[in-house]
Formats: sequence, C-alpha cells, structure tokens
Amino acid sequence: MELFFYALISGVLFGIFFALVGIGLNLIFGVMRMVNLAHGDFIMLGAFGAWLIFNKLDINPLWSIPIEIVVFMIVGFFVYYAFVPRLSKSKDPEMLSFILFFGVAQVIEALAIFAFGNNQKSIPFSTLGQGSVTILSQPIPFAWLISAIISLIIIGFIYYYLYHTRMGYATRAIMSSQEEAASVGISVSKISAFAMGIGLSLAALAGVLAPFMIGSIDPSIGSSLTTMSFAIVVIGSLGNPIGTILGGIIYGIAMMFMQTYLASWTNLVPYVILILILLVKPAGLLGKKVRNA
Amino acid sequence: MHKKNIRLINGILLIVVTIVLFAILPKIYNNNYLLFNLMLYIALSEGLNLIYGFTGYLPFGYVGFFGTGAYSASLLILLLHVGVIPAILLGGVAASVVGIILTPLLRLSGAYFAIANLAASQAIYYIISNPHLENITQGPYGIMLSSVYNAAASYNAMLLVLFFALVLVLFFRQSRFGLSLLSIKEDSITASVAGVNVVLARTIAWLLSAFVAGLCGGVFAWYTSVFYPETVFSLNISIFAIVFVLFGGASTLIGPLVGTVILYGMYNFIGISTPQYFQLIYGILIILLVLFLPDGVISLFKKVRKYVP
Amino acid sequence: MRWFKNVTLVLLAFVVGIILLPFQAKAAAPKQILIGTLYASSGPFATSSTSQYHGLEFWANQVNKQGGVYVAAFKKKIPVKLIAYDDQSSTTLAATLYNQLITRDKVNLLVADFGSVLTSVAVPIAQEHKILLFDPTGTSAKFFSPKNPYLVLTSLPTSGVWPTVLADFLITHKINKVAVIYSANDFNQSQAETLKAKLEAAKIKPVYYHAVPTDTSNYTVLIRTIQATHPEALIEFGYPPNDIAFLQNLQASGAKFNMVFTIFPGQQLALIEKNVGTKALEYTYTYPTPPLLVYNKVNYGMPMSEFEKIYTQETKRPVDFLTVAGYNAGLIIEKTLSTSKEFNQLAFRNAINSFSGKIFTLNGLFKINNEGAQIGEFLPVGQFQPTKTGLALHVVYPMNIATGKPIYPAP
Repeated sequence: MELFFYALISGVLFGIFFALVGIGLNLIFGVMRMVNLAHGDFIMLGAFGAWLIFNKLDINPLWSIPIEIVVFMIVGFFVYYAFVPRLSKSKDPEMLSFILFFGVAQVIEALAIFAFGNNQKSIPFSTLGQGSVTILSQPIPFAWLISAIISLIIIGFIYYYLYHTRMGYATRAIMSSQEEAASVGISVSKISAFAMGIGLSLAALAGVLAPFMIGSIDPSIGSSLTTMSFAIVVIGSLGNPIGTILGGIIYGIAMMFMQTYLASWTNLVPYVILILILLVKPAGLLGKKVRNA
Repeated sequence: MHKKNIRLINGILLIVVTIVLFAILPKIYNNNYLLFNLMLYIALSEGLNLIYGFTGYLPFGYVGFFGTGAYSASLLILLLHVGVIPAILLGGVAASVVGIILTPLLRLSGAYFAIANLAASQAIYYIISNPHLENITQGPYGIMLSSVYNAAASYNAMLLVLFFALVLVLFFRQSRFGLSLLSIKEDSITASVAGVNVVLARTIAWLLSAFVAGLCGGVFAWYTSVFYPETVFSLNISIFAIVFVLFGGASTLIGPLVGTVILYGMYNFIGISTPQYFQLIYGILIILLVLFLPDGVISLFKKVRKYVP
Repeated sequence: MRWFKNVTLVLLAFVVGIILLPFQAKAAAPKQILIGTLYASSGPFATSSTSQYHGLEFWANQVNKQGGVYVAAFKKKIPVKLIAYDDQSSTTLAATLYNQLITRDKVNLLVADFGSVLTSVAVPIAQEHKILLFDPTGTSAKFFSPKNPYLVLTSLPTSGVWPTVLADFLITHKINKVAVIYSANDFNQSQAETLKAKLEAAKIKPVYYHAVPTDTSNYTVLIRTIQATHPEALIEFGYPPNDIAFLQNLQASGAKFNMVFTIFPGQQLALIEKNVGTKALEYTYTYPTPPLLVYNKVNYGMPMSEFEKIYTQETKRPVDFLTVAGYNAGLIIEKTLSTSKEFNQLAFRNAINSFSGKIFTLNGLFKINNEGAQIGEFLPVGQFQPTKTGLALHVVYPMNIATGKPIYPAP
C-alpha cells in the first residue's frame, strides 16, 4: 500500500511539472496552429541555461528563471517573425511547420553540442533544498515539491494572463478563430508573436526544473522531451492550454505506477495512452472536435 | 492521349535507367553499402510518397512499418525456418497488417495523424524490445541472421524492391486511381461528391505504402544480418525519408529519387569529412527548404516544363 | 666460345630474374601499415568512444616515434597510419564506413569502435571481406563463434562473464537478499542474467529482479520500490547515464543499503564523480578496471604508471579505462605484426593464437579461446573507501589480488 501512495504522490508532483513541460507547446499550437517540433530542444536550452548560471556564477539555478523569461521572449519574437508569416501563406502550414521546426531542432542540438560537449551535466538536488519532506507518511524529495510549486505558480500566471488580461482575451480569440479575431481588429501577428515568446519561455522554464525532475542533462535529450510533450498535450487537449494540467497529471501518475509495478514497460505508457485518446476522443479529454473525415 | 503516352514513356525510361545504373554500379564502385543504402532510401521515400504525396497524410512513424517488416522476416527465418524470399514478402504483408490495425488513425487530421503514427511506431518498438518478450523477439539482444547472409543476393533483392516501389509510384502518377487520390488530397468532400470512394482509396494507398516499407525492412534485415531493435525503429529513418521526399518534391516519381540521391549523398560526404557540422548543415537546409522551396527542388523544373515524371 | 657461354649465362640469369619477379613483387612491403577504425564524436557512445580512440592513437604515435611497428613478414619496421571516420554513434553510418575502410581505403587491419552496438555491424562485414577485426570493447557473446576466425576481443571479457567474481563475492560473504535492477539492452541484460543464474545455483533467489528502459533517467520511484523488499545488496547494471541518475537519486532519497554496486564508476570515475559527487560514491562497489586496477606483471608494452605519466604529459587528457582498452588493442596489433610470419589475415589470427596466454600488458593477461573471446582479463570486485585525500578504490575480492578489506555493511 505504501508503494501505491508513493507512486500516487510522486505521480501528481511529476504531473504538475509535466504540465509545465507541455503547456508551451500547446499554446503555440493553439494560437498559430504550428507544431513546434523543437519544443524539447528549447527545454534543453533552458536546462543548460540553469546549469551555466549555477556552474559559472555559482548562484542558485532558480535565478535563471527571470533571465530566461526575458531571453526567450526575445527569441520567440525572432522565431515568429522569421518563420510564421511565410509559413501561413503556404499550402499546408501545419505539416510544413512540423518539418521546419524539426530542422530548427537539429540546428539547436548541433549548436548545443558545440557549446557544451556531449557529456552529462548535473545540478545537485541540494540547491533546491536538502532532504525530503513527508507527505501522507511518504518521504518525498524536497526538490520535487519545490519544482511542483514553481510549476503551479507559473501555470497560474498563464491562467491569469489568458483569462484576466486584455492580451489574454485577444489570444484566446485568435485560438478560437484567427479570421474572426482579425476582423474585429485584433493585431494577430503581434499577439501571436507574444504568444510564441511565452510558449518558448515556458519551455525554457520547464528546462530549469528539468535537472531536478528528470535527471542529468545533455544536448540529446531534446527529441525524447518533444515526444513526451506531445503525449501530455494530446491527452489534455491540443489547443486548450489549461487542459494540459490534466494531461500532465494523468501522464505523471501513469508513469509512476508503471515504474513501480511493471518497470520495464514504462516507456510504452505515453504512447499507448496517446493512441487510445486519439482513437477514442481525439480532441483530448477536454477539447473540441478535430475529426477529419 | 498522346501527351499521356509520352509521360508514361518518360516515367518508364526513368525507372529503367535507375535500375540499370544500380545494377551496374557495384562492378565499378566498390562501396556496396552506400549503394544499398541509397536504394533503400529511394525505395522508402517513394513508399512514403505513396501516402504523403498522394493523400497528404504525413506518417511520422513510417519507420514502424520498416521495423515490423525487418522483425517479421527475421523471426520467420530464425524461429520458423521459412525461406528468405517468402519471409521478406511476408514481412511486407505483416507491415500491411499493422497498417490495417492502424487505419482508424486515418480519421484524424494532419498533425494528429502524424503524432499518432509516431506514437504507434514507438509503441511497436518498445513492445518488440521488451525483455519480457525475449523468447520470441530476442528482445534487447537483437537479431543475428548470419546463417542466411548473402551480400549479392540481398543486393539484388533490394534492386527488385526498388523497382516495385518505383513502378507503384508511376502507376499512381499515371492512373485514374492516382488522380482520384490527388483529388481527395485537394478537397475530400468534393471528391466524394464526385463519386470517389474516399475511405477505400486512402486505405489502399496506406496499405501499399506500408507494404513497401515492410519489404524494405525485410531486405535490410537480410543484407545487414546483425541489428538491434533501435537500428530498425530509429526515428531518423522516417525523418530522412520525409525530408528526401520534401526536398525532391512530393507526388512525383522523380522528386523523391532526386531528393534522396542529393541529400543522402551529401549526408555521406559531409558526414564523413566534417561530421561535427553535419547536423547543423542538415538542419539549416531543412529550414531553408521549407521556407523557400516547399514544393521541392522539382518545382523549380516545373516552372520550365509543366510536367515532370 | 667463351663469350657464348657468358651471354647464355647472362640470358639465363635474366630469364630467371624475370620469372622470379612476381614473387619478389608479392613480397614487397607496404610503405605504411594502414589501420582503419571508427569513433563516435556525438551521440550516446561519444564519451567512451573518443577515449578509446585516443588510446589507440597514442599507441600509433608512440610506435611511429620509434620508426614504426616491426613486421616479421617483411623483417623490418614500417610506420603505421590510422584512418578513422566518425560514425556519430549511428549503426547504419558505421556499417557504411567500415565497408568503406575495407573496400576504398584498403586498410591492412581493422579495429572496431567502442561497445557492442557499434561493433555489431562490423562483425559480419569483417567476416565477409575476410579481414581480422580487432575488437577492444564489443563484448556481446553472440559475436563469437568457432566458425568465425576473423574476430578477436582484445581488452575485456564478454559481458555475460563479467559478474562471475561479483556472484562469488555475494555467495561467500553470505549476502542472501539481493536486488538486481538492469537496463534492457544486450550489455546489461547479459550480466544480470549471469548473476541471477549463479546466485540461483547457490540457492539465492533475488528479492527484486527487474529490467528498466535504457533511457531511464529517474530512479527515485524504483529505489523506493526496491526498499520495500528490504535487500542487503542492490546491484545496478546500466550505462553511464543510468549509473549517474541512479547514484544521484539514491543519494537524494537518503535510502540506505548495506551494499550498492554499479558498473561505470570503475571505468570512467572522473565523469561519474563530476556528476554525482564524491559522497554519493563512498562505500559503493564496482568492477575496478585499469587504471584503477594495477597489474604489476607486465611483459609487453608500457606498465600503467609509465603509461599514465607519458599519456597525460603528451595529450593533456586523463586516463580512463577506455584509453587503456584502445592502447591495449594497439599493443595486440603490434605483437601480432611482430609475430606473424606472413602478411595475411588468417596468419595474423594464427599468430594471435600462438601468443595467447603469454602476454601480460597493463590491461592484464591476454588470453583468448577458440572463438576469439577473451578469457584472460577478468573483473574483480572493488569498493570506494573514503580517505583524507578523497576516494580510494580498493580491490576487495578475490583475496589473492585484494588491496583492502570490504567495509560491509556500509555505514
């Protein structure tokens, strides 16, 4: 029974973190209908940013959060204006974005290997607080709790942005229907660029927490993080950023239970869930219709 | 009719020249592995073309069919002692069976389909490589097929599979069936109103595409004779095929061929002399391609001559 | 008449010379001995592969400094040239490149890249082209068979054999509750299976025995699950990323076991220590390998102390096990060339058979069986014990080469 509770609690904590991992991808897709296949690599960059700050400046890696928000907002603007207007005019922007961002992922990974080399890098858990805290009589690493709390706060900000600010309303309008939003006078490109910046920043912030939740980092973790993000987003619903929380928690709990009881099948979990959801309720557990024919 | 015959002859000529080239080259140029891989990727790209070029669905997990074919053929040879050629053919069939199981995915649109297909191929990979199934699939230990190793025969088998794939694409290109597929790609509702059986046509293209990949997998297993699960389920295989098709130009016969020869040739050349820059160059190339030449290199030729084979 | 005799004699000599010419041409020595190999500059095998390559490269440089390697078939020293390509940890690229080394570059000798995965594609290629493959660290047992003479494992025993001493250690120290967790791939699974078989033969059934995916990077939940079975010893078989994650999570979770065993701290201590910290390694067990394990009986090539000194001086890089493995492969090549009376691949293999069991290098005794697999070097059990100056790795089993006593249970 103990193991059950341990799996449950860690599942929820990891789930909140996973929600942060997926929410950036979901936002970008919802607003621009573009699939950011480089999402995992942006997470990787965020993780390396935190490692750099910890290693070279010798301060707590959490300080990288504000720095990375600024950096990746700027990067997001660049990425938007460089790619999206051109892509939107083409015949099949969704599919082409898939491939474009794959190219971006390769470039990012190659540059990261040049900059950081191939070896694993780690940040000790102690920077987020020593030892463990007891929840429901289970010893949980303190670092997990902190990561989950930070993730929750960040997601909270996004919720506030989307539902309680003018720009957020505009963003949701664009997510609902781009043409209608434009006809009402919303500056689609400015808001979308902003959304791109937010999306990439969210990925980077997930990256800051990644060394504590996922383990040591190296430039090649990008692609598996991307596939994981897809699973999370699809489970919740593609296009509904808040639904990602549900997706994250389901994913987290499933992973932890698998690891506890059927360890060698752990990798299968995200994909089976993803396929089942896409076949049974393709809009995701919280989404609207996306069936084709 | 006259125009159509000329186009047909152009296509046939292209296929014949390609096959003859690959048949003769081993005598002159010694690196058989490179030639084999080139043929493999041309065949895979054309197989992918069948579904992406003609129906617009992008199977991001195309490698799943490839791996299924490789494993089915290998296990038939190792465990049931089936002959090599029947085993490879059955490998192709096995891939089609997986395709049948995955047909519900065709209901999904664009990005969803791609992701679901990716998930399916990863799922197959994890199932096959799991230690619990080791007694059947050899699990993480991989496959050793050295008992049936035959470099020359397996090279020729690849030649045949390549021929088959090229002929299929030519057929799609020339026939009414192919035309109906293109109409579905443009606008499926109008096509069905015009009398095209959308679901059936798409399914046929899908299964044929899977069959080609399965055959490729089987022949690859024969030629390489030693491989781990990661080798035949590697996402890189899907991605290469997709990029080659895009670069060359989808829904044509010559597009994927040109795309593969140029890009895979580049991969071998740059990859060997300056490997550290390879990934960077490849990535930049893909970005430029999508931004400036989304219809592939062949689209440049289309501006000069309206039709390419 | 005399000039007639002279002319005939000269003509005869001329004719004989022409007839013998092809035989002489056959015996003409190459200007350079071409040694082909691959390395991975990126991807999961990069760290280990580049280390191994640098070891081989160092050997080639040292040998050329002395005018080349002595080739018995031509009775003279010939310089060696390494031709190496980057396979980026990809098996398909590796296959093409191995093929290219043989067919285009026409190398005289072939050395495999690091590890079973990148060696696996070389085995059938070498066999098909009938060229001897020197395999430093590709330890999968399935590569080796009596029917294939074109494969020799130079620097490690096959992975299935690795845990034999570890099993003995557990049995003789009466450690009855053992948990085994291993990542699901050839290298680690073969070790786990051997360990389990040996333990069960001594009537010890593991209390926990599970595979996890190779890319597992978080062991916390797994450690918790293992704790619930109350084992005395926890054995983790994985690749360096697994070991790093496992040791980090173990330390963070605060879980205590009497004995913890991982593989790669014994081979790549610097990398592991940098990531997990010294404290996490204290009192853990591993397979000590050179340079952490010093063989004193060396009758060929540099002994460890000299090698470490000169290598770090010349290349400014630290020595780890893979460096030693690469250098050792070079030594075996050197011995082969200086022993083999003929310059062809099967003669090379016969030469190796002849000196197998007689060569002691810094990597231990070089001895192969009839399949080409290593049976000389074996892996003992060692423990990291803290000292005032850091960690010291003591060999604790078997007793005849032990340099310290095990501190069991771990404090």
